[in-house]
Amino acid sequence: MGNFEFQKIRMFGRVERKPAEYTEVYGEPVKHTSDPIVTGSSVVALHFNGGVIIGMDTTSSYGKMAMYKNVNKFEVINQQTVYAASGEVSDFQELTRFLREVERRSLNAADGYTHNAHDYANLLARKQYQMRNKGDPFLVQSVIGGIVDGKPYLAVIDPFGTPLQKTAVLTGYARYLCPPIVQNYWDETADEEKARRVVEECFKVLFYRDAKAVDRIQIAIVTERGVTIDEPIKLKTKWDHEAFLTRANEKLHTQ
Amino acid sequence: MIKGVYDVDCGTWSPQGKLIQVEYAMEAVKQGSICLGLKSQEYAVLCSLKRAPSELSSYMDKTFKVDDHMGLSMAGLTADARSLCKYMRNECLNYKYNYEVAHPVERLIFKIAEKSQKKTQSVSTRPYGVGLLVIGVDQTGTHLFETCPSGNFYEYNAYSIGARSQAARTYLENHFQKFSKASLERLILHGLKALKGAVQEETDFNTRSVEIAFVGLKENFTTLKEDQVDSYLKKLAD
Repeated sequence: MGNFEFQKIRMFGRVERKPAEYTEVYGEPVKHTSDPIVTGSSVVALHFNGGVIIGMDTTSSYGKMAMYKNVNKFEVINQQTVYAASGEVSDFQELTRFLREVERRSLNAADGYTHNAHDYANLLARKQYQMRNKGDPFLVQSVIGGIVDGKPYLAVIDPFGTPLQKTAVLTGYARYLCPPIVQNYWDETADEEKARRVVEECFKVLFYRDAKAVDRIQIAIVTERGVTIDEPIKLKTKWDHEAFLTRANEKLHTQ
Repeated sequence: MIKGVYDVDCGTWSPQGKLIQVEYAMEAVKQGSICLGLKSQEYAVLCSLKRAPSELSSYMDKTFKVDDHMGLSMAGLTADARSLCKYMRNECLNYKYNYEVAHPVERLIFKIAEKSQKKTQSVSTRPYGVGLLVIGVDQTGTHLFETCPSGNFYEYNAYSIGARSQAARTYLENHFQKFSKASLERLILHGLKALKGAVQEETDFNTRSVEIAFVGLKENFTTLKEDQVDSYLKKLAD
């Protein structure tokens, strides 16, 4: 293919690549967004003994600015499947449109067969892989949670299109901050209450440490009976530590 | 059987409200050698009688595997059957690639029916001249479907198409209530008995001309080998 000379021009987070030898039909260079603009933050999703619990905050960030504060991040594809994603929000919405279209075709067929969470997870993986191969990936980590054959099902798909079926899914900053909480306080036999507390604890820690996190979260639960998305809740976090109040550290510095 | 001026193409209705070209296509199915299918709750079985174009040739296969969970037998134009089978195999592969799950049987039959129907609404192409008996398993259990050149499809507990299939159908109608809980061996023997009923004196009914295939909830689509067919034919003779 020859040598490519890439000129990178950074404009408001968007990188324009101008390959020297490649010319498109209309003489314009190929431009793909390489950084996400409006993002959703971490997803924390766990199995419990009756189904799957997924938690997300209700904020969409514009860089570091918490621009949209009351966003419903869950898409109910059918009564046994929920889709959530961290990363670029417009890509999440595009994939939602895609999944809904697939579900609608099932409804139109009207033959009693519907896709389940496993089918959707793999379909998403194929779709994200396809776009990644074009050099224009969906900049999302997708999470599909649902019930398959009566058992809880949870899968995460990374921007490369790799599907991973897991019992505990953490995306975004939760990947770094939350594993110890999940490992120590949760296992697959947990009941809904225990799993819910672990999810809340994860988001508390994220609010303390992740600059883009917000303390308002929403939880979705998928069981055999269907999908319930709870009203958003505000996390109880502690900011009146003695050290903050007496400003002990500051005293040391000023001495 | 020439129906006059209304049988030239699929774009012409006859005064009796029929598409005569489509009926001619279904006649091609009736002229093909017999194949039949039957199913239980756990297995679905196909039995076919193969024809040899001449003494020197081998018998033409009628049974094709579509995917691990699905296969078909045909009556009519073998070339048309191969073309449809290739389409079905491709669809099954794509579905498996996208969803990591076997293609639901009825959905695929619906696609075939759509394909067949298009050909009945065109002046420039002819309908498919083959009827398929498709057996498969999916989430909803075992299935046996028949597809027609007309674009219709039907689901059956047991059915037979091709030459002298009425004799086989009579046997199946009399016995189909026993199929639901039958073992695989019993099911195959029922199929062979039904097949035998449709065979004329001078037709070959031996290991080379009989084809048996089955698929089960836990077993992939398999066409029986000659020695297995032989043992079943021996059991039939007893």
